[in-house]
This record gives sequence, structure tokens and C-alpha cells, in this order.
Amino acid sequence: MKFIIFTLSAYLVDETYLLAAEAGMPQLDPKYWFSQGFWLIITFVMLYILVAKLFIPKIKNNIDDRERKIKDDLEKAKSYKENSEIKNKEYEQVIEKSKKEISKMIYDTRKKLEKDIQNKKQVIEKQINDEIKKTENEIKILKQNSLSSIEKISEELTSKIVHEITGEQLNQSSVKAMVSEVTKKNFNKIIS
Amino acid sequence: MTQFKVYKIGPEIKFGNIDLSFTNSSLFMIISAAIICLFLYFSTKERKIIPGKLQLISEMLFNFIAKMISDTAGSKAKPYFPFIFSLFVFVLICNMVGMLPYSFTVTSHIIVTLIMALFIFFAVTVIGFLKHGFKYLSIFVPSGVPVVLLPLITVIEIISYLSRPVSLSVRLFANMMAGHTMLKVFGGFVISLGLLGGWLPLSFSVALTGLEILVAFLQAYVFAILTCIYLNDALNLHH
Repeated sequence: MKFIIFTLSAYLVDETYLLAAEAGMPQLDPKYWFSQGFWLIITFVMLYILVAKLFIPKIKNNIDDRERKIKDDLEKAKSYKENSEIKNKEYEQVIEKSKKEISKMIYDTRKKLEKDIQNKKQVIEKQINDEIKKTENEIKILKQNSLSSIEKISEELTSKIVHEITGEQLNQSSVKAMVSEVTKKNFNKIIS
Repeated sequence: MTQFKVYKIGPEIKFGNIDLSFTNSSLFMIISAAIICLFLYFSTKERKIIPGKLQLISEMLFNFIAKMISDTAGSKAKPYFPFIFSLFVFVLICNMVGMLPYSFTVTSHIIVTLIMALFIFFAVTVIGFLKHGFKYLSIFVPSGVPVVLLPLITVIEIISYLSRPVSLSVRLFANMMAGHTMLKVFGGFVISLGLLGGWLPLSFSVALTGLEILVAFLQAYVFAILTCIYLNDALNLHH
């Protein structure tokens, strides 16, 4: 087969250019067929070796690296997210706990304050009561005192007035009895 | 048609009776391969977690081809990923370099595409036989076909299998050549119609250039995906 092609092409090359460029298509001129095939094979084999051994592994490595990196990053992001969720939960728990504590504290303080207020109120009321009582007593004493002094003054006044008007000296005891009777009547009216 | 002409650059290299001289075709193959290598070198030089523009392009290319292979040929085709990758990128860059004015389109030569397609064809066949032994021949016998039709179907399947390298290579070669020829024709119209009438073909030429860039990408994609499909047939016997 090869021999036939070879002899044919050699014949065509040596003889006139049967299918030469001038006749039409240079593609059908077999003069450089072997040359083209030869250089095609050399070029393509070299290209193939370079591509297969050098460039494709590089590109592939790079793409794989990127995919790995993306995967790693995604995993990392996932773990970070999980961590942050855990932390968030903890934080919320802490907040919840402290909220409870605070409300308890508020409750306790309020209770304590109320108790204190109650106590103080009682003490103050007691003091007030005492004061009132004391004052009432004082008033009572003062009343009695004033009553007796009023009687005395009235007796004197009465005896003096009677003496001035009539010129008579009244009996001390009878004046006293009269005055005390009147005062008792009127005093009760005034006081109450 | 001079744009498709192959000529010798530098000294003549003869191996026995065979001419292996360095030609403009070889030059543009090497330029394409060098562009690919330079691009891949610079795009993989800095390996950042957040990729730069070049790095992003190379990674998109990688993922694009990886997805194409896993979609069409499954996970078993992983060892052939570097081959499909180089094939796709090589065909793509050769097509794209061919779009530059005064350049040479390597893939517009039937011999180049045929060698690639034949290599794929033989490699796929060998892989199929290595993986499945003679059971691989069951690829020619689709299941669920009436017995009466079996001989006919089998013959058709064999023909379609054998025509794979031809269709694969001719598709790429014809697309590239037709596109460039069309561009040339419209370019010629621009010159011949001159300043007055040349605007219409010029606008066509601009539109066609866009279309051709699309075709250049599409044909590289088709070439690679068909390789994947053939590989899938060899790796996973569906019938």
C-alpha cells in the first residue's frame, strides 16, 4: 500500500504536475504530501507531549486546588457558623439567666424595701401615737391646772367685784362653792 | 488558489527518495503549535486562586473540552483527554491562524486532515479491539433489527464505519478551503469593481470573515466531538 502510494507520488512528482497548482487545487498536488505529513506528525506529537505532560496537569492542578480551597473554605465557614450559633446560644442563655437574676433581685429588693417601709411606718406611727398621747396628757394636766387656777381667779374676782359693788365681805367658802358650780357648768360647754 | 500553494522554505530535505522539505505548511503548523504553547505557558504561569484573564481562558477551554468528552464518551475516555485537547486546540488555532491575511491554512489541505482522521480511525479501531476483543465487531450489528434486514444493515454499517476518516477529513478540509476560496472570490470582486461598485462585495467579505471565524471554531469543535463520538463507540459498546 505504502509502496504504491510512494511510487505513485514519486511518479507524479517526477512527471509533469498532473494535479498541479496551476491546474486547480494545490491540495491535490502530492509533491509535498510526505513533507506535510512528516511535519504534521512532528509538530502534533511535540504539541501533544507538551500539552499532556506539562500544561494539562498544571491547569488541572490549579482547578483542583481551587475546588479544594472552596470546599475547605465552605467547611470552615460552616464550622464557624456552627461555633457562632453555639456561642449565640450560650450568650442567649447567659442573658436569660441574668434577666432572671435581675428580676429576682428587683423582686427581693422591692420586698425588702416594702418591709423596711412598713417597719419605719410602724415606728413612726408609734412615735406619733406616743407624741399624741404625751401631748394629750400634757393638755389634760394643763386643763386641770388651768381649771383650778381659773377657779381661784374667779373666786378672787367674784369676791372683789362683790366687795366693790356692795362693800360687803363675802364668806370665802360660799364664793368658792358658787364659782366652782358655775365653772363646771360652763367649762364643760366650752371644752366640748 | 495561490493561497493554498505549498512551497519550500529553506534547504531541501530528502529522505531517500521522499521530499521532506520544510514548507510554508510546516511553518504554519509550527506557528500554530507555538501560539498554543505560548498561550498555555503564559496562562499557567501564574497559578492564582482567582484567575487572571489568560488563566480564565485556559481553564474555560479545559472545562469546555472536559465537559465535551464526559458528555459524549463518558468517564472511560478520560485517558484520551490530552489527545482530544491537543487535537481541538491544534485544529482551532490552525483554522484561526488561517484567517489572518497572507497566512497559510494548514487544515485546508486534505492530506493534513486525512492523516489526522486516519490516525483517529486506526486508534479508535485498535482501542475498540483491545477493549472488547472480537466482540467489537458487534458494532456493525445493531440490536433490534429484523433478521431479514441484518445483512443489508451490516453492510451499511461497515461502509459508514470505513468512511469515517474520509468524512471527518473531507468535512474539515472542504469547509476551510471553501471558506477561504469564497473570501478570495469576494476580495477579487472588490478589486475588479473598484471604488464605485466594490463596496457591496467588501461588506460581504467582512460578513464572510465573521462567518469564517465561526466556521473555524465550529469545524474544530465538530472534529473534536466526532472524535469523542468514535471513541465512545470504541469504549462503550452500545449495540
